[in-house]
Amino acid sequence: MSERVIEVRGLRKQFGGFVAVRDVSFHVEKGEIFGYLGANGAGKSTTIRMLCGLLPPTAGRATVAGHDVTDAPHRVKSSIGYMSQKFSLYLDLTAAHNLEFFGGIYGLRGKALRRATDAVVERTGLDEHRGATTGALPGGIRQRLALACALIHEPRIVFLDEPTAGVDPASRRDFWRLIRELARDGTTVFVTTHYMDEAEYCARIGLMVDGALVALDTPDALKARFVPGESLAVEGRALHLGTDAVRALPRVLAAEPFGARLHVRFEDGHTDREAMERCLRAAGARVDRVEPVEASLEDVFLAVVGGAAEEAA
Amino acid sequence: MRRFARRVWALAAKEVRHVLRDPRTLYLALGMPVVMLLLFGYGVSFDLEHLPVAFVDLDRSASSRALRRRFTANDQLDDAGTLATTAEAERTLVAGEAIAALVIPEGFEADLRRGRDVDLQLLLDGADNNSAVQAQAKAETAARVLGLSLATRVAGDASPPIATRSWTRFNPESRSAVFLVPGITAYVLAIVAVLLTALTVSREWERGSMAQLFATPVGRLEIVLGKLLPYLVLGTLVVLLVLAVGTWVFDVPFRGSPFALAVLSVLFIAGMLGQGLLVSVVARNQMVATQVATLSSMLPSMLLSGFVFPIQNMPQVLQWITVVIPARYFVEGLRGVLLRGNDLSLLWPQAAALTAFALVMVVASTARFRRTIA
Repeated sequence: MSERVIEVRGLRKQFGGFVAVRDVSFHVEKGEIFGYLGANGAGKSTTIRMLCGLLPPTAGRATVAGHDVTDAPHRVKSSIGYMSQKFSLYLDLTAAHNLEFFGGIYGLRGKALRRATDAVVERTGLDEHRGATTGALPGGIRQRLALACALIHEPRIVFLDEPTAGVDPASRRDFWRLIRELARDGTTVFVTTHYMDEAEYCARIGLMVDGALVALDTPDALKARFVPGESLAVEGRALHLGTDAVRALPRVLAAEPFGARLHVRFEDGHTDREAMERCLRAAGARVDRVEPVEASLEDVFLAVVGGAAEEAA
Repeated sequence: MRRFARRVWALAAKEVRHVLRDPRTLYLALGMPVVMLLLFGYGVSFDLEHLPVAFVDLDRSASSRALRRRFTANDQLDDAGTLATTAEAERTLVAGEAIAALVIPEGFEADLRRGRDVDLQLLLDGADNNSAVQAQAKAETAARVLGLSLATRVAGDASPPIATRSWTRFNPESRSAVFLVPGITAYVLAIVAVLLTALTVSREWERGSMAQLFATPVGRLEIVLGKLLPYLVLGTLVVLLVLAVGTWVFDVPFRGSPFALAVLSVLFIAGMLGQGLLVSVVARNQMVATQVATLSSMLPSMLLSGFVFPIQNMPQVLQWITVVIPARYFVEGLRGVLLRGNDLSLLWPQAAALTAFALVMVVASTARFRRTIA
């Protein structure tokens, strides 16, 4: 049986009358990349802060690396690495100074500190930037440095709060390669993001809406549950004229514009491409190309958020 | 315990790096006190020179002329001319043409020769009290050198002439620099020390690095000590620098125990750094922190420390307030060590008061440090 390194039961955080996190329960296994998805203000950061021992929960329990976050926040902090949403290293110091400082804070010094620094610098590919002033480094490298500082004491779990916010796509890809390597080597990664393409890399995803954890599963399972069926992507002209008509076709679950294209989803095994094309042309649209598409996590997110909104209404 | 020391060390080392990589902190810490000391030392002088003194020479002898030359030999008193009568001297004072008039009585030379006591009379313009007191002090010094006593009468005052004999110990020339430098030292150190720490903690709040620190096993006391220790060293350097300038530029004596000076200085700086930390912890914002730090250090150490206004002359309520003003004890201590040649056997109450203040500040800023972030 795999080891549960994070165990959360009925975790709740209330600020006055506002419930930021609503009785959340889940667990994370060792070496897993656990993604936490949600809109801004959905309670992702509040959850992370409670799990890192930064914020005491109003109710519920959470153990991280075997330590209770309410009773032993100090122990929790010693066994985790944390990278906050806002870049928070010292800009006036060099990369090496920052690493040395965080190593010292976790009790490393002398040879052990040098070894740990070398290891983490190699892992994050920062060797050529060691002597550079942190403030002068480009965003992608800063993020890697922040990750390196969070990893210097070889924590069993790292919490990354929106680690790639505001970073260019190439750097984001590099960063996620690092995260996957970390997980492969046995470090548990708890990451929040609002980039849906990044979420695909996660072993499991928790979806937060208004402080509640509304869904939690692997990306494929989430897609099967929230975006069932088979989808076709239609390219053409004036597709919007036929959207409503396509929606009214039997066995069609959804028809949504997606960029310049139209995504049409049928019940499993009932895809009827001919009927759809006829319907669109009849409405005055022109169809140039039709191809099958995979459901994305973005579809899942929209379906879940839409569903939650409908429930609320 | 070892981990505690390591974390404090890591924090202190990081703080030193901040300072070394941004020399502005050093300029502030080392330059500002020296500039302020020079400005205050030269600018705020209670010494007055070239005070115009008129002479009523009723003796008109060689001795009286010699006396007159003697009075105006240095730059402190200037000869404002000869007047015929005491009444005329009074009019001169009323007209503001002289601050004082010295009356040399008839028979001055004859009495001197016979070895009799001679009383000179000094009329003073009481409207400008400070100048009058200075002129009196200078005239008395000059008269004493000649072995004469001086009867003083303030113009427009009904009180009879009083022969005064005073002797100012520890500062025989009544130079205000000697008296002021200890006060200025406490004043500039208070401002610099409070500002140093007030900015460091609020800066970490603003940059978000405090949030990062809280996610590590670092404790509140460790942060407070890690911030305090490097600046304590810097502050001690500032004390040395300021006192060096004080003794060299302003000729302030150093008569007492260097050990006592070191103890008092370190305790005072620790207290002021602690006050800066408290401001920083509460304010969380560099703008607010700067203003609160400046006001909370400048006003008390200027007005309530005994630097400018003697404490025993204050209204009773203010005197009670000065009990919790650390600058008061440091000014007392500095004057004791520098001018009176004291050591800790006399100055231990000041040392104890400064210790208490420093401890209260460290405990208060540690207690106010909230580890949680909303």
